[in-house]
Amino acid sequence: MTMPHLVDDTAPAAVTLPKARAGNLWLVAPGVLWMTLFLVLPIAMMVYVSFWTQTTFKIEPTLTLQSWITFFSSDTYLGALWTTIRIWLIVLATTLLVGYPAALFVGLFVKNKTLQTVLLVLCVIPFWTSFLIRVLAWRPMLGKEGAINLILMKLGIVSQPIEVLLFSDLSVIIGMTQIYCVFMVGPIAFMLGRIDPSIIEAAQDLGAGFWRIFRTIILPLSMPGVVVGAIFVSVMVLGEFATSAALSGRKVNLLGNIIVTQVGSLKWAFAAVAGVVLTILMGAVVAVLLRVVDLRKEL
Amino acid sequence: MTAVLHLRNVVKQYGDSRALDGVSLSLPDNSYISLLGPSGSGKTTLLRVIAGFEQPEAGEIRFQGARIDALPPHQRGIGFVFQNFALFPHLSVEQNIAFGLTNRAIDPVTDGEVVRRKVKDMIALVGLTGLEDRGVSQISGGQKQRVALARTLVTEPKMVLLDEPLGALDANLRTRMRSELRSIRERCGVTFLHVTGSETEALAMGDTVLVLDRARIAQQGDADTIYNRPSSPAVARFLNCYNLLPGQVSGESFVSSVGTLGLGGLRQTAANPTYAIRYDRVSIRAKDAALADGETGIDGTFIASEYTGSAVNAFFTLADGSIFEVEQHLSHAAPSTFEPQAAYRLAWKKEDALVYA
Repeated sequence: MTMPHLVDDTAPAAVTLPKARAGNLWLVAPGVLWMTLFLVLPIAMMVYVSFWTQTTFKIEPTLTLQSWITFFSSDTYLGALWTTIRIWLIVLATTLLVGYPAALFVGLFVKNKTLQTVLLVLCVIPFWTSFLIRVLAWRPMLGKEGAINLILMKLGIVSQPIEVLLFSDLSVIIGMTQIYCVFMVGPIAFMLGRIDPSIIEAAQDLGAGFWRIFRTIILPLSMPGVVVGAIFVSVMVLGEFATSAALSGRKVNLLGNIIVTQVGSLKWAFAAVAGVVLTILMGAVVAVLLRVVDLRKEL
Repeated sequence: MTAVLHLRNVVKQYGDSRALDGVSLSLPDNSYISLLGPSGSGKTTLLRVIAGFEQPEAGEIRFQGARIDALPPHQRGIGFVFQNFALFPHLSVEQNIAFGLTNRAIDPVTDGEVVRRKVKDMIALVGLTGLEDRGVSQISGGQKQRVALARTLVTEPKMVLLDEPLGALDANLRTRMRSELRSIRERCGVTFLHVTGSETEALAMGDTVLVLDRARIAQQGDADTIYNRPSSPAVARFLNCYNLLPGQVSGESFVSSVGTLGLGGLRQTAANPTYAIRYDRVSIRAKDAALADGETGIDGTFIASEYTGSAVNAFFTLADGSIFEVEQHLSHAAPSTFEPQAAYRLAWKKEDALVYA
């Protein structure tokens, strides 16, 4: 073995925590119990039920792949899966597009901490009304004779009402972006607020202009916030059904809507298949997002 | 010696208080300048105004002959080393140092080979060889200091501003970095303006020492002049080595609240008449000892002493309750012992005193 060239006084010393004694494990018991009963068991049950035999009027615990085969050979279900992924990607992009500049303003350019908090609280105010009301409120805004069309026609910008505004992909995307944007703004603004202002001054002093500093310093340092925000938005959008039900006129069917209708018509096995597919999709999305940034290192 | 930086009547106001109240100065090229001031004297503000992070309300800043007041920081060509180093936390040592070269708006270096060579030379200059690929959270305080310095120096600024660069280091490292900083500066041949609140650091490091007091430059000179002939009672107070006695000049003597003192040494004008005598110019005698010719003195009651290794600092209270400090060097004498609460005669040569009146 050779001696290291430099005496290393900085390597983090190997910290050995005393082994958790059996007594300490009781601290996690309530949590483990709760999660087992209400999360792990239901998920296991859902996977199990997805293999049950579904007939028109009843369901039997005879194991079969029939529901899975039906799901993956049906245009309706695959279409719903594709729509879910498409809407999710678009909403992710729009929340980022709308949320990042807002977060940049609140987290970086508002120097006053009180004002920063006030602005973030303002973002949360829409949450004081119920989810359904927030969704339904978009109808009188976007409808054929809704506020937006009325104003555009009064101003003479359009002669015919724009019909694509409501009961379309667009209305679902507009609604979801508005509802989930704040989950993007929050984590990003938090990360940006943690950037030491002198780091940005140092970059300026070294001769870099604003866009260069944004690309090389601000964006990389805010990535953990983007990833956390993207996880929030993804998990919520992938499991969505209410916004598309209320604003798409049943034209946009997400996996969530499929599950709701299948459960409504007591097709438990199909609902379970859709549920498992959705869970796997979410798991995959979160896993990929966590690959982007090592959150343990950054937070 | 040619001057590289000129400030004329620079004013910076925060609300009602003036952080800089008409600062004028002129800094020589290729030298080490230390700027001494107590906390709140405006020294960090002065640096930030020169660097361009703050806009002055009035005045003129000239750098290498051209006015730079209106330029943004990234166009000034002045390097800034932050007190907390402000390293880019997501970049390695090497990437931190290369940042300015590749990302500056004016004349960026696009040739990867040139960048690598310059960064390698700079890493060798500041003594960081072997740590190129480390993350900046994986190196020690002294190494971070070197990265911060290298990151600035590699862009070849004509002047480097250092904001209490040694403040975040432990005492041992601080002394080592002092000589290191001076030798790095000599190798680069640029002007360093080093801000500090420590008088020993300012005197040890600066070819020229500036003293900032209440938002103005109180004195500019070499270390010896500043230490031996502070231009005002305030400067003498920062130096932390003068006993200051307020009073009035009356004929050939200085009447203070603790007694009448003989005049002799340098006299300078000041608003508040003050008599200053250095800690190490005073000798401690028995209470009734006679004063020799050319000497003057007062009586004090011994309270306590502090052993610092090379010297002993003895503290006395005077008639008006103020504290009088005497430093006795131990190189030629064993430490003497004094009786607590006993009275002694404190004597010094008249010509050693500085009088402001």
